[in-house]
Amino acid sequence: MEKARISSLQLFLLITGFLFGSTLILNPATGAKNDGWLAILIGGAVGTLLLAAYASIALLNPSKTLVEILRDRFGKVIGNIIAILYIWYFIHLASLVFRNFGSFMLTTTYPKTPLEVIIAVFALVVMYAVNSGVEVVGRMSEILVPFVPVIAVIISLGILTVHDFTAFLPVLENGISPVIKASLNLLTFPFGETIVFLMIFPHLNKRENLKKVSTLSALSATGLFLFIFFRDITVLGSHLIYQATFVPHLTSVLIPGINLEPLFNVNLIIGGSIKVVICMYAAVNGLNQLIGANDYRKFTTAVATFCVVLSIWVYENIFEMFDWAENIWLYYSIPFQIVIPLMLLFLSLIKKGNPAHEKSIE
Amino acid sequence: MFRKIKRRLRVGSQQDNIDTIYTGIDEPLPRNIERVKERLNEIFSECSDYIQREIVCGEDGSVRILVSYIEGFVDKKILNQDVVRPILDYFSSAERQDKAKRVYQLIKECIISNNEVREVESLQQAVYKIVSGDAVLFVDGSKSALVVGVKAPQGRQVEEPDTEVSIRGPREGFVENLATNMVLIRKRIKTPNLKFEMMQLGIQTKTDVCICYIKGIANEEIVKEVRKRVKKIRGDAILDTGYIEQYITDNRLTLFPVVGNSEKCDKLVAKLLEGRVAILCDGTPYVITVPHLFIESIQTSDDYYDHAFFASFMRVLRFLALLISNLLPAMYVALVSFHHTVIPFKLIITLAASRQGIPFSPFVEAILMITAFELLREAGVRMPRPIGQALSIVGAIVLGEASVNAGIASNLMVIIVAITAICSFVVPPLIRATMLLRFAFLIAANFLGFLGISLVAVTVIIHLCRLRSFGIPYMAPLSPLTATDLKDSFIMVPIWAMITRPKILFQEDTRGTVGIKRQEVDKISED
Repeated sequence: MEKARISSLQLFLLITGFLFGSTLILNPATGAKNDGWLAILIGGAVGTLLLAAYASIALLNPSKTLVEILRDRFGKVIGNIIAILYIWYFIHLASLVFRNFGSFMLTTTYPKTPLEVIIAVFALVVMYAVNSGVEVVGRMSEILVPFVPVIAVIISLGILTVHDFTAFLPVLENGISPVIKASLNLLTFPFGETIVFLMIFPHLNKRENLKKVSTLSALSATGLFLFIFFRDITVLGSHLIYQATFVPHLTSVLIPGINLEPLFNVNLIIGGSIKVVICMYAAVNGLNQLIGANDYRKFTTAVATFCVVLSIWVYENIFEMFDWAENIWLYYSIPFQIVIPLMLLFLSLIKKGNPAHEKSIE
Repeated sequence: MFRKIKRRLRVGSQQDNIDTIYTGIDEPLPRNIERVKERLNEIFSECSDYIQREIVCGEDGSVRILVSYIEGFVDKKILNQDVVRPILDYFSSAERQDKAKRVYQLIKECIISNNEVREVESLQQAVYKIVSGDAVLFVDGSKSALVVGVKAPQGRQVEEPDTEVSIRGPREGFVENLATNMVLIRKRIKTPNLKFEMMQLGIQTKTDVCICYIKGIANEEIVKEVRKRVKKIRGDAILDTGYIEQYITDNRLTLFPVVGNSEKCDKLVAKLLEGRVAILCDGTPYVITVPHLFIESIQTSDDYYDHAFFASFMRVLRFLALLISNLLPAMYVALVSFHHTVIPFKLIITLAASRQGIPFSPFVEAILMITAFELLREAGVRMPRPIGQALSIVGAIVLGEASVNAGIASNLMVIIVAITAICSFVVPPLIRATMLLRFAFLIAANFLGFLGISLVAVTVIIHLCRLRSFGIPYMAPLSPLTATDLKDSFIMVPIWAMITRPKILFQEDTRGTVGIKRQEVDKISED
């Protein structure tokens, strides 16, 4: 493992940036129409718990990455198989984010540019970041991530004159089930994806802060989601928010007098790049550990190329992307995000309670 | 392949030096003065500036002394007054016939009236002293020679540097003479903790290079690292600190300066007091300081002499200028060729009117104008000053006014290049980096609009985060965030509120920061 260290603040910003990531383009909470805020609250609360669980796994297996934990807890063979699945999952996640990013750019600003070009150029930047190592990624987050809330606030201030505070009403018009569905989506869409951070957690310099940092970042991300949702719903109304393709983008276009679209794109690039960088870093590092090579940088180019190709090939069109994100991703993710981690937590707890057992295995 | 070339270069430089005197092993001084004379004449053959004078005195010429020096390098008056005359007087008046060893001792201890007398034992050292401007006395029958420091003052007077102008504060700048520079520093920091470590670099030039720091304030690790890197330098010549800078820098492939340089004494002293290490070099007024961080580029010495409010405002302004000079032409190109919708309606009419009849695309237009500006600037720098001014007038009028009238460039483009040019001069340490980055942003903007600009910007930020200067992250204190050091970043607090020294210089990765409070340092130095 790389001997780099990141500070608590850097980890906080990384997780927050990761959670914003593509959520700025696709907001799963919109499935619940004007009750989205309820979905965000529920999803956020459960998501925070989930992150705390991931942090506990990391704390119970100090300075070990996901691949090593899997090997330790499930034995070498099963552990390696699950690790391969996880690496696939990270690569898939990275390509989905690439595609989200590319489709968004294509739809909103660059209708004539080929999708491949946009994604490939983006991938070059991401590769540079990944090869620079986790320490540099941490430092980069300190400069970039603060832009996200600042830009969100700027857009909100610009739109201050357009609002309708009754848009929330009536509460629970369609019953509770769309809310539950949306919050489940939200749980697996940004929050559960933080399972990637099990590859980053061992780099934290002060381990005692891990739980605090991860829950705090989940909470602040929830706060910003709520803020953005309130802004969007007061501006767009419940009907439009359900129909629109890219909700926050539509909001930013509505600012009277000036078009802040580029500002929004910058926001997206920051969030998106952090998310892809972390996924890619986790994937190449996992691959590196799985094979037992000495330098993860050897894999970056290959994995990045694969991601670019996969991201173009994975959906036929943008509607398939939305459909996948809303209906399939949830079930595809549950084993990776909830089932296996909970098993890991359980096994780790048992091993911890019975240290003699641990020794006999070794 | 690079390695091969490197090896060949190294072999080549070694071969050059085989027959020079310096690579040989030190040979002891011959006791016989005739032999010394012979060797010296051999070594200094065809050196017309080499002078040697033999003094023969005492009874029946038993005392024989050889004085060797380089013409013009030593002060002849002082040499005569301090060395030659006392010797002649002493041995002519007193009727003494001493043994050779006694003569040597006598000359060393009671005859020469100069303060700076040293001894050398080998011929090579003696030759080295002669070529560095000292006078060397060889006494017949003695196995060592005397070196008398009678170097004549060389070079110009201390004056205000042209390159760094400040509105307020001391106007003294460094000069080419190392000794003068050291005095200029010592004069401002009156403590024995101020250390000057001397060494000679350059196989041919044997330049005096001096590492300067304040013990107890500078991070020992950094001092050690500087020492290590400076000692590793192998090369024929060190003509300027720029040579040293290129040898010791952490990242050789970067546009950004990771080693700082200055010509101003007060600025350098302030850097030393912050815990930085300076490297002085004989023969150049430029002194380099390490570690050099990004934030130092927008700091000026004026900031500290004026009220913190104005200083903070100026710093934000400077940073803004930096952004503008990098991004403005690219933004313009992106707006005009990709994002018409972003431009407010009234402006777009003006813009369309000004671009009417221009044969070039905005990108070509921008590249042409910016290249023209860079050419003008370079020509202005290289020309003698009076012609340089004429050149800038011609450039401004002909290129600005006439190109618009001729329909080659749009009015707006001229305005944009002008603003860019003005802004690029606001942050002098980054002028070169900005010059190239501007083109990178322009090209990106031409291909991908704002997306391209953002991606290049992110790349530059990653690059900046990657950089380290002597182990200290280049973007500190912004990233990694060091809260207490933000006091001297974009927002500056008044001098009386700066209680602690910069912590960033004491950082070991992010693992834990060791900051030292000012009081603690004082305590250490008192002990």
